[in-house]
Amino acid sequence: MSTMTSTGVEVSAAGFSYQHADRPAPAISGLDLHIAPGEKVLLAGASGAGKSTLLHALAGVLHDDDADSTGQLLIDGNPPAEARGRAGLMQQDPESQVVLSRIGDDVAFSCENMAVDPEEIPSRVQQALAAVGLDHLPLDHPSSQLSGGQKQRLALAGILAMQPGLLLLDEPTANLDPEGTLQVRDAVVDAVTTTGSSLVVVEHRLSTWVDHVDTLVVLEPGGGVRHRVPAADFHTDQHLRAELTAAGLWVDADTAPVAADLLPADTGENQLLTARGLAVHRQSPKKSWRRGHSVQPVLSGVDMSLRSGTAVGITGRNGAGKSTLLLTLGGLLQAHAGELTAGSELKGERGAQLPDSPYLWRSADLTSRIGTVFQEPEHQFVRSTVSEELRLSAVQARIPGTRDPLFTEDEVTARVEHLLRRLRLEHLAEANPFTLSGGEKRRLSVGTALAAGPQVLMLDEPTFGQDAHTFAELIGLLGDHLRSGGTVLAVTHDESFLAALNAQRFDLTPTPSAASVLENRVPIGTRPTNNDAKNRRDSGTPLLSAVRDTSWLGRRGPLAKLIALFFITLALIATIDPVSAAVVAVVCFLLLPIADIRLLVFLRRIWIFAVASLVAVWGAAIAAEESGRVLLDLGVTTVSTGSLEMGVSLGARAFAIVLPSVLIFSTTDPTDLADSLAQQLKLPARFVLGALAAMRLLGLMAEHWTTLGHARRARGLGSRFFSQAFGLLVQAIRIATRLAVTMESRGFGAGKRSWARPARFTGADGLVVLGGLLIAAGATALAMTLGTWNLVWQS
Amino acid sequence: MNSSASARTPFTWSVSDIVVASTLAVAAGVIFWGWNLSYHAVSTLFTAYPPTAGIVAGMWLFPAVLGAMIIRKPGAAIYCEMVAAAVSALLGSQWGLGVLLSGFVQGLGAELILLLFLYRRFTVDVAILAGAAAGLAGGINENFIAAYYQYDTVGTVVHIGTFTLSGAIIAGLLPWLGTRGLAATGALGPLKSRKAHRESAFSGRIPESRSTS
Repeated sequence: MSTMTSTGVEVSAAGFSYQHADRPAPAISGLDLHIAPGEKVLLAGASGAGKSTLLHALAGVLHDDDADSTGQLLIDGNPPAEARGRAGLMQQDPESQVVLSRIGDDVAFSCENMAVDPEEIPSRVQQALAAVGLDHLPLDHPSSQLSGGQKQRLALAGILAMQPGLLLLDEPTANLDPEGTLQVRDAVVDAVTTTGSSLVVVEHRLSTWVDHVDTLVVLEPGGGVRHRVPAADFHTDQHLRAELTAAGLWVDADTAPVAADLLPADTGENQLLTARGLAVHRQSPKKSWRRGHSVQPVLSGVDMSLRSGTAVGITGRNGAGKSTLLLTLGGLLQAHAGELTAGSELKGERGAQLPDSPYLWRSADLTSRIGTVFQEPEHQFVRSTVSEELRLSAVQARIPGTRDPLFTEDEVTARVEHLLRRLRLEHLAEANPFTLSGGEKRRLSVGTALAAGPQVLMLDEPTFGQDAHTFAELIGLLGDHLRSGGTVLAVTHDESFLAALNAQRFDLTPTPSAASVLENRVPIGTRPTNNDAKNRRDSGTPLLSAVRDTSWLGRRGPLAKLIALFFITLALIATIDPVSAAVVAVVCFLLLPIADIRLLVFLRRIWIFAVASLVAVWGAAIAAEESGRVLLDLGVTTVSTGSLEMGVSLGARAFAIVLPSVLIFSTTDPTDLADSLAQQLKLPARFVLGALAAMRLLGLMAEHWTTLGHARRARGLGSRFFSQAFGLLVQAIRIATRLAVTMESRGFGAGKRSWARPARFTGADGLVVLGGLLIAAGATALAMTLGTWNLVWQS
Repeated sequence: MNSSASARTPFTWSVSDIVVASTLAVAAGVIFWGWNLSYHAVSTLFTAYPPTAGIVAGMWLFPAVLGAMIIRKPGAAIYCEMVAAAVSALLGSQWGLGVLLSGFVQGLGAELILLLFLYRRFTVDVAILAGAAAGLAGGINENFIAAYYQYDTVGTVVHIGTFTLSGAIIAGLLPWLGTRGLAATGALGPLKSRKAHRESAFSGRIPESRSTS
């Protein structure tokens, strides 16, 4: 008997209503719904019809104290919050559906939360990974290296391992390319068929699911169930189809009207922007002495020209470098090779003296020539009201070579009013941009790019996750832009989008040589080249490695290493003297072999601390108590032999404190450390795992930071540290909120949990502790013998 | 079976609280990193008289009060500051294991002020006090406990004084403003600070007229 089978859950709702705190109207009211065990339901409805709210309620993750909830909603006769593990929820954003750094751990996470016997967890993990077609990857494969579609399948595996009776999918494929979409859809259908569990899936693009489910349920905005019909009716009931179309749902797949009046891309007259032999990479090509080798471009030899009145769509697989190319063409990233030339029409009459490459332009000149719309609209928002947001780009634009505004005050006001009307955001002019709905945010983001009047408009996946209404409005806006002589360049997977703008396709499918280095048997290329992964590690971007260190020290338990580190640090903190610092520093260098760290690599990691130590030396020399001979008299203060000695001691100590930490943390995996802190030191598991899950987001946050910087330049702002920091905090909280839902719906925080990998203290671990103790004692003893030991905490 | 939400007190951390606090701390780590990249020159300004460098040191303290203002539960200041410290230790930009001690001491400084107000007041004055306390605690730690500095009396007073002032502004006033800004975006939906942008700066009350819109 397979352990993966589970009986389907029965859902029953009677007069169920839910109103979020501070909202004027309920999201759902008077909902009556019955879902039989094993029934597969496609849940549809207009944007804001309460679909997500219902799924969250079924997953038992809606528990706002101030919200208003009445009626009954039961799964298998119990309130969802008391049936943890019976329902599994998958959300839209792949990044927040993954909890841990290694795929095996991520799947095991839900089992551990449900306190499954550790003996049983490995087989559950294997079966779940096999069920979603990820069993060809090693269990310690880094989850960060998966494509979006693979991440969603990993999330499905995490849910299946819990053996739920109900799968709840909230637009699971909205952010995926067509290939990823089908893989996720098929994995879900297979899993549901095999396990017999019930399914409720929410999706705007109905055709993806409608032939694989039993029932179509349509929700009434702010109400209950409007229709509950057999899924087959979708193809025959014209009245239903018309109603769904009116609600903004995608009823017919890829049948958006072709804009016959728009020019095909190769017929436009004026070349606005021309690329010849362009090579691109996220990272700047500037050579840095810290970086040993130069960066290999992800894409090279790109020739492209953009002509007025035409649209071009950049298509291709995940990781092919589409967005990087877009940002480079948009003057936000520096090209690695080749030429990017702005034509005289794009530069304009007053900009004849501008350099050819947009990358060299001031942000104030860029924003009125090339507008960039980012995939996440919120990245572009920097003001607190919609109208201020639209004003900003127009106000920032300057006449090239001067500090004079491009538009007069009246012109600015006229532009803002025109755009508010055109975007149908007049009634929201004073609203905070972040509080708009998804479709409104998308419109506003395009508006902010258009506000300064750029002729070239660049967009990154503008239709991801949008309903048919927003799609149509977007096409309307972009069509107008093209008809007025502008050009549109978009990274997209959306065939309807390309057709609707009569766009020329620029396909970036990797060349055979690049394709051959794609990871073996990985269905979707995750990183285009191995080189790229190496580049990322060496970049200035902080990233946590998910791969275990195999050195002797790397194989020791984290707790032992932490204790050893504690002893050494304590010995150094306790005294300010150069001798004990020197002992620790020398020993650390001698220990490099057991950590398998090459000297050069180590030096590259620590040089910055050497610089900091010199600063500490100077600080004490100048501002510590004067004693001994005065070496340098600066009037208000002096440098004396005594203060210089003190400085050297402090500097050496500051430097030495860092070295063992670098050694230990380079060889310790954060996941293992967290396991050990929770199991052995008995720190609260909820907090330790919460911190660990957040740490995984470090690389993602750094990417957000960079993108926020690009978005500010695109909007005509220079570098704005506080605005960028605020933007990052908003994204951090948004991601965290979704991640919390993911974790809770996988049983996290409910109570007693088990551990798939028990942390143990071995004999070799004892050796590590002993070693740490010996280093600490040896350093102290030698300093005492030489009479330099100098306890800090004495007056 | 588990007892679901029934056992919760106003001071119990929910899963959202834990994950948001942790993620904020990680974001703070990235902000430190961005600060290091773009404002490296700032610290060189203080080479003339190093103890004044305390004036920008408040930058390292902001996660404490930001976490406290957003989460509004006991331990938030210490937790956020320590996780942020751990992140900067992992990024290798800080003082090794000693950074955890600093994180704890600084977080404790802010935490004590919030405790003093029984975790009921999250107004601008409390935020500034908490930021100043974090700076004071940081100054005491760096001069006496971990003793990274050994300035003469004037230097020590200048260092702790600027650290405290910097804490009050960068790690007190700014996080308070930031929390209001974040609340206005609607991002704080599942948290206790959801309505922070509508609270009066000094009384913390929400004007009645606005709540019936």
